[in-house]
Amino acid sequence: MNFYKDHYDVIVIGGALAGMSCAMSLAKEGKDVLILERHNLPGGMATSFVRSGMEMEATLHEMMSLGLKEDPLYIRKYLDEMGVVIDWLRVPEAYRLLSHPDGIDITLHAGRRPDGTWVCADEIDMIYSGTKDEINRLLELCRSIYESVLFLNEHKLSKVEMLLKHEPLVKTAGYSAKEVLDSAFDLPLAVKKILSAYWIYVGQPMSSLPFTIYAFLMADYMMGGSFVARGFSHEMSVAMAEKCEELGVQFEYGQNVEKILVKDNHVYGVRTSRGDEIHCDYIASAPYPNTVYGKMIEPQSEVPKEARQYANAMPMSVTNFSVVLLLDKSPEELNIKDYSVFSSDIPFDTDAFWAEGKKIGGWNYLTTICLNYANPDCVPAGMTSLSITYLPLPEAFLNLKADGYFAFKRKVAREMIDRVSKHLGVDLKEHIQEIEIESPVTMSHYTSDYRGGIYGYQHSMDNSVVGRLEDLEKEFYIKGLVGCASHQLVGDGMACNINNGRIATKAILEWMKEAE
Amino acid sequence: MKVKGFLQDVLGASRVTNARRNLIKNASVLNVYSDPIREVAKEVHPEPFKVTVVSVSDASPTAKTFRLKPLAGKLPPFEAGMYVSFQDLKIGNTVTTRPFSISSAPFEARSEDPFFEVTIRKGRDNGFVSNYFYNEVREGDEFTVEMPFGQFFYEPMRDAKNVVALAGGSGITPFVSMAKEINHGTLDMDLTILYGSVSSKDIILKDVLDQVQSERVKVVNVISGEEDYDGEKGFLRAELIQKYSKGDTSYFVCGPLPMYQFVRGELAKLEVPEKRIRMEVFGAPVDITKAEGYPECEAQTFKLTVVRGIHEDVIEASSRESLAVAMERAGIKNNTRCRSGACGYCRCKLLDGDVFVPTVGDGRRYADKMYGYVHACSTYPLSDCRIKIVIK
Repeated sequence: MNFYKDHYDVIVIGGALAGMSCAMSLAKEGKDVLILERHNLPGGMATSFVRSGMEMEATLHEMMSLGLKEDPLYIRKYLDEMGVVIDWLRVPEAYRLLSHPDGIDITLHAGRRPDGTWVCADEIDMIYSGTKDEINRLLELCRSIYESVLFLNEHKLSKVEMLLKHEPLVKTAGYSAKEVLDSAFDLPLAVKKILSAYWIYVGQPMSSLPFTIYAFLMADYMMGGSFVARGFSHEMSVAMAEKCEELGVQFEYGQNVEKILVKDNHVYGVRTSRGDEIHCDYIASAPYPNTVYGKMIEPQSEVPKEARQYANAMPMSVTNFSVVLLLDKSPEELNIKDYSVFSSDIPFDTDAFWAEGKKIGGWNYLTTICLNYANPDCVPAGMTSLSITYLPLPEAFLNLKADGYFAFKRKVAREMIDRVSKHLGVDLKEHIQEIEIESPVTMSHYTSDYRGGIYGYQHSMDNSVVGRLEDLEKEFYIKGLVGCASHQLVGDGMACNINNGRIATKAILEWMKEAE
Repeated sequence: MKVKGFLQDVLGASRVTNARRNLIKNASVLNVYSDPIREVAKEVHPEPFKVTVVSVSDASPTAKTFRLKPLAGKLPPFEAGMYVSFQDLKIGNTVTTRPFSISSAPFEARSEDPFFEVTIRKGRDNGFVSNYFYNEVREGDEFTVEMPFGQFFYEPMRDAKNVVALAGGSGITPFVSMAKEINHGTLDMDLTILYGSVSSKDIILKDVLDQVQSERVKVVNVISGEEDYDGEKGFLRAELIQKYSKGDTSYFVCGPLPMYQFVRGELAKLEVPEKRIRMEVFGAPVDITKAEGYPECEAQTFKLTVVRGIHEDVIEASSRESLAVAMERAGIKNNTRCRSGACGYCRCKLLDGDVFVPTVGDGRRYADKMYGYVHACSTYPLSDCRIKIVIK
């Protein structure tokens, strides 16, 4: 029985956002594409699950770079161009930062006015008066870098042109977010802390987070705001999967790719756990380079020395620990007032938070999301959908054992719930109707991603996006094979992964052109 | 605009590019791949594996306990109350799967000599698979299983420490697992099992239930069909449930479908809050025509086109049976697991045709409903249909 064609132009390993965006874009160019996804759902981590008839968001997910319908940003433009229709709901506020030790309790909203002033600058100025000009200047700098990055996503420029046309990007590219904030802006420490809250969405402390990434993130969140799909992340994933198939992509679930077949430094196919050997000219791979070079390439003698060095050098970014709760009272009754709260129990310090992620538990910086405020119909009336998340480093979990695993998960989850309960003044444990605890093992189980990583490699100063971009083409160590997930150029995040997929598409289309 | 000075700023980009090049250049050239987290994930959620029947014993005049051991390696850890899915059960021309609650304790699966047990009463679920187990399966038989699954377990952060189990028929099995684990000291809860049977002969695992009684585990048989029974008589009524509840109590319900409906009503009388009630999934309806909303129609046979990759099969499908069953009768393997519509493992795309999905137990996601995805185990054809399933 033949379930596959004899040959495909491209096989995409992994039907998550990057893989689907890559497949869609290729199919749109008339290419013959096969997606092999090991799970029975599309979307990778961008998914949901149902308990007792109620749907829950699997992890913390917001779509960025959409902008409003009338003022679309690049992801909305891309989805429109592909014909992907998703029922987006705008997240009400950017975030609330709650740090009692610093005396900080502030809620910020997205929005930039035509005169170049920002809503959040006024909000901060209300408490820390006299700071709004500097905040506006910082956010305008962020915006200019955001625009430059998007421009460079589509165009190539010489170094001189770069300096002439994208000076702010060039001049900040060599610095961390902390360096730029400290050297070029005159802001009180508390305000800098407030403007650092989003560090966790990259999982990199301010001292090693490239300013380029910080700027992109801040402009993105603070300009267009963020969105969730009415039908949870799964709606977005299914909408994209449907579009892939409509464009002629063959999309097969439940197929685990075990081997990537290589001959004379060029890929020619894959082999699945089922035993199917399927041939193709190009492969876009969601598995991390560590897994690809470490055990998927067959024969292993085809792995170049440089590829091994690359995989060994890349510093793993964070993984995920989440507690997802359905509570039997409304948010108001539970004293939950915001969609998104970052909270700290120690003086706000991203280096200290990040270091805590090297150990299990004792995490002081938590992200609490109450989905009701973005999507009021996500649960029956009188109930609350709440998640609590911390993003620790995989290294914290390397000695974990299967024995005692359930108890371990509960112990960590209980600590996280208790912390949030303390902030709310309500013991959430008394209201749990459904609970799911997701550890790095859960991430690994559903995606098989290397060490349960969710954010790819660290966006650190020695693994900066600027350096990644500069050497992008040199790092295609095996011909016809391109990475296609958050371990690639742009890094983590749903919008970023759509972009990672498009970058993979571009590489493949260029190779195809060369081959002709 | 300057950060630290013109020259330093302009050279910044090369600085970080070089830092990255050095990072890579100085890394090892050896293959040092290791992923301990993946190893734990594989141990906790293993791929389907082979087991062999090491003993068969009577659990009642109409039920047997099958003890199974892995052919190689370990058994995964699980929570008392979870189930195992038997895969690739070949019975006649049919290839099917079945979920069974594990009746042995988690600690037994992780011991030096690991095993697990399922206790199966003949006649359950129309009797197709349970009769096969009861009549045919012998010591030495081999099976492929996948485990553990399910949401029917004690969660200390959610449930009251005091649990009253409301069991009927073979629904006793998850509670036996819990009772053993409690007595072993590895499950911190107090359990009172109210076990409803028609006659005392029907009590499954009677000896085991006698043995597990302890300071923390109490077993009360409730017999409905023996006038002279010396003990609790009748059904699992509110008054009886009340009598054995003390303070904050969670109710765990496992048994046949009619019992769920009855017990739901009784718990409602006691005004038990929703979060204090846990129900195990109850399998496919024995008669789909009795399901709420099922359209009036004669039993019919439709054409079902099953798409797997570029391959298509056209098979027959009865309007009275699920798409999953139609495929199994035709020998087409598909990913059923809970067989109750809940777990979503048999999710597939309805490309064409009309179907009926019972609302009770419909575990589909919002977007799946929107885009026409169905769970094959709980979807019934009302016309010729075309579906795309996972290649197994």
